[in-house]
Amino acid sequence: MPVPILKQGEILVASIQAALSDVDLAALRDDLADRVGRLRSRGVVIDVTALDVLDSFATRTIRGIAYTARLRGANTVVVGIQPDVAFAMVQLGLSLDGIATALDLEDGLELLLRTRNDGRVHRN
Amino acid sequence: MGQLANQTSTQLLAKDMGLTPQSIERRRKIVGLEAQDLVRIDAIKELVSGHVDEFTTLFFDYLSPLDEARPMLSNRTIADRARKLKREHLLAMVQSDYGTAYVEQRLELALLYSKVGLDLRVFLAAFHHLLKGIGAMVMKHHEHAPLEGFAHFMSLKKVAFFDLGLIVDAIVFERERIIRQQQDAIRELSTPVLQIRERLLLLPIIGVIDTHRARLITDSLLKSIRAARAKVVVMDITGVATIDSKVANHLIQTITAARLMGASVIITGLSSDVAQSLVALGIDLAKLNTVGDLQGGMEEAENLLGYRVVPGERTTNGAPETHA
Repeated sequence: MPVPILKQGEILVASIQAALSDVDLAALRDDLADRVGRLRSRGVVIDVTALDVLDSFATRTIRGIAYTARLRGANTVVVGIQPDVAFAMVQLGLSLDGIATALDLEDGLELLLRTRNDGRVHRN
Repeated sequence: MGQLANQTSTQLLAKDMGLTPQSIERRRKIVGLEAQDLVRIDAIKELVSGHVDEFTTLFFDYLSPLDEARPMLSNRTIADRARKLKREHLLAMVQSDYGTAYVEQRLELALLYSKVGLDLRVFLAAFHHLLKGIGAMVMKHHEHAPLEGFAHFMSLKKVAFFDLGLIVDAIVFERERIIRQQQDAIRELSTPVLQIRERLLLLPIIGVIDTHRARLITDSLLKSIRAARAKVVVMDITGVATIDSKVANHLIQTITAARLMGASVIITGLSSDVAQSLVALGIDLAKLNTVGDLQGGMEEAENLLGYRVVPGERTTNGAPETHA
């Protein structure tokens, strides 16, 4: 199932609604990399609220998306990681180093809008 | 009244142990108790019930010289009750009805053993002695058909092992109950997560952190972050006396997990001892945001959230009126 990518101003929102196969994930990565450049986006939000598992491939792909987007000029925020998922990721040693995370879509958008001007993440 | 209370406590125990009619049936199957065993047991029914007092005495006479059995036998009321229950047990053993009522009867005796702290090894030895006595009697009775006698006795022995399984399980279960109670106590004492301001949580940790507790702390913190939509968490470890690499690892895991959910964690209250041992352990603390004390941590957190606390006019609202 392909992931819908919504454009909201300068920000792209990819909302993952169901468990993804590795192929879908790779497609999402390519799709986002393409659109960030084409639509001149400044931010990407990846919403994983619906996922109850994030395995090593998914984590690596999300990291890949974030780094690619950064090189193309957009910051990435991963939002909606569930408590159980967060704990499992830590236990499995999977990390999202250097990538901003936020509680939900609202916080993620706010974070991106706040960091838009200088491209650096900081709070208030 | 006492009888009634015991009845319900054994029923409760049976329920806690999950002894349903199905699982009892399963237990009978496990020891291999079949229809023909019941026929054989019926054949020696008269023999066993006729000598029931003798066998009961055999069991308790074996126990009486043992120091380990003294807690049970020194108390007259308990000893009499054990004797009565054991006698009932022997009678029931040959009644060919091994259902719920029979199981509850066994549990009653097991509860008594467990209450007086009778060691399993002592009980097993005495029970073996009792079986030996019954076996000898059965064999004597079947002097001219030893094979038949042996078969009868083996059928009875299946029931005996069915009973043993129940009694051992019940005694072990009672012992584990204490462990479970302590775990529950720890869980209740475990760390509260307090909301101080909108989107700001405080997590005071006091006492020893082990793997189990670390898991509980992480669990409740992550759930609270979601529920309170927290952005900043202040974790105060003033009450943690010592930190080893394992505990440090647990804390770092908790912090990393919180960060994945979009909350940043500020650690406060590292004593100089703790700080030194962390440095000595060579734990990478670069990712941790630490502030000396709780006050500093709260100020930092408020700063992150954009709060500014300024002393204002003191309101007299609700204050006791001095010039009435």
